[in-house]
Amino acid sequence: MLFEGLWFRYSRRAPWALRGAEATAAPGDTIVVLGPNGAGKSTLLQLAAGVLRPTRGRIRDRPSVVGWVPERFPAAQPFTALGYLHAMSAVRGLPARAADPWIERLGLAAHADTPLADLSKGTAQKVGLAQALLTPPGLLVLDEPWEGLDAASRTLIPEIVTEVTDAGGVVLVSDHRGEIANLPGARHWTLAAGELRTTTTQAKPETDELIVEVAVRRHEAAAAVVQLRAAGHRVLGVRENGLSVREKHTTVEEDR
Amino acid sequence: MIALAWMRVAGFVRSGRCLAPLVAVLVVLSILYGGGPSRAAAAYGYSAAALFAVLAWITKLVLDTEPDVQRRLARLAVGPAREAAAGLLAAGLLGAGVCALAMLAPWAFGGISGPAIGVGILLGVLAHLLALAGALALGALAGRAVTRRVMPGVAVLVSGGVLAVVLGLSDSIAPWLVPPVMATARALSEDAAPAAGDLLWLVIRTLLWCAAALGIYARLRRARA
Repeated sequence: MLFEGLWFRYSRRAPWALRGAEATAAPGDTIVVLGPNGAGKSTLLQLAAGVLRPTRGRIRDRPSVVGWVPERFPAAQPFTALGYLHAMSAVRGLPARAADPWIERLGLAAHADTPLADLSKGTAQKVGLAQALLTPPGLLVLDEPWEGLDAASRTLIPEIVTEVTDAGGVVLVSDHRGEIANLPGARHWTLAAGELRTTTTQAKPETDELIVEVAVRRHEAAAAVVQLRAAGHRVLGVRENGLSVREKHTTVEEDR
Repeated sequence: MIALAWMRVAGFVRSGRCLAPLVAVLVVLSILYGGGPSRAAAAYGYSAAALFAVLAWITKLVLDTEPDVQRRLARLAVGPAREAAAGLLAAGLLGAGVCALAMLAPWAFGGISGPAIGVGILLGVLAHLLALAGALALGALAGRAVTRRVMPGVAVLVSGGVLAVVLGLSDSIAPWLVPPVMATARALSEDAAPAAGDLLWLVIRTLLWCAAALGIYARLRRARA
């Protein structure tokens, strides 16, 4: 994906929200967009997703399937969580049951019959996440995805990000909570007053770190991740037992 | 696109936003047919003209029901052209339901009498379809996706509804600026059925007006995405 000289403002008299952004994202990239409030992170993400059109410049080679998790899920709709996801499955040209694996994985089954307007912020955020993943996205855009999620659910985001990038997709994620440590190998784009700075190399691990692989029981995985983080360790990912170690892990070890 | 249209119809009906225009439709039909029976073609012609503004209002309500962020999610799912078309299809389905109600209502009121009822019904279907087409285009131009804010949308809707009547009068200086709902009503109120050429001209005028209005709608939607 090529971002070529993107300029954007919300109206003719409005100030520029983005000024001449130039960047490149390759398949398999995880890109964390950083910046203070009002810096233009959401604007850049919406331009990347294609829900906003740049005032000047263009984005080339955007993947055909885009999943977008907005910062605030639009919960003011007269559907239940299940009804909404089934309807969005149909809109994507999928059978209604296509949403079921995500409902299960994201822990939405208990809230399936709850009206969207009655969901908690975190649960509504999970519905937003589920709709973005109904069709495996070539570009996944996550706008503050950790917002409102509990500790156990927050571990899902790195898992999903890794799955998308391992399949050759690009992930753009904004973050102001410092959760980026959970996205190993992520590149950083920093926005300040509408101007974009990109880093050309992936974030390196701490020089005095070792990689320790730990096997835990499936039902204890979430709690183990939380405990490891609470003890100050970086959790690089969670994978099925018996699968080969992910390329990114190998890369991290080689970098050492 | 069909699934998105049905999702929007469901959202509109379940949200309760359909109640106010439904009451307006019933009021219009009650006024039209409360005064006694008339010929089918004339009754349906004025019914279509009277319902034009209500059909445009319904279109705007349907297009404005879902939150802006949900509209963007839908655009990502099906593409911008299909997303815009799905909104018009949803409004068209609901508008067609209103037109069907308007076609059936006079029989409950005893509002139809006289000769040539079959021809009158066919002309009535045509008049309602022409009104619906124009109303879809006007309602789309008044939608929040185009006007961005509430007041400009209301202004477009009210202005369009009033101008359709004022500029549709027989001595209008610019009848081509509005869809010919009044001209259609006048043509159907004559004692003799309108000539095929006159009907064809009304259809062409309606289609040209809708093409122009929907072209502006598509351009504004693209520019204001």
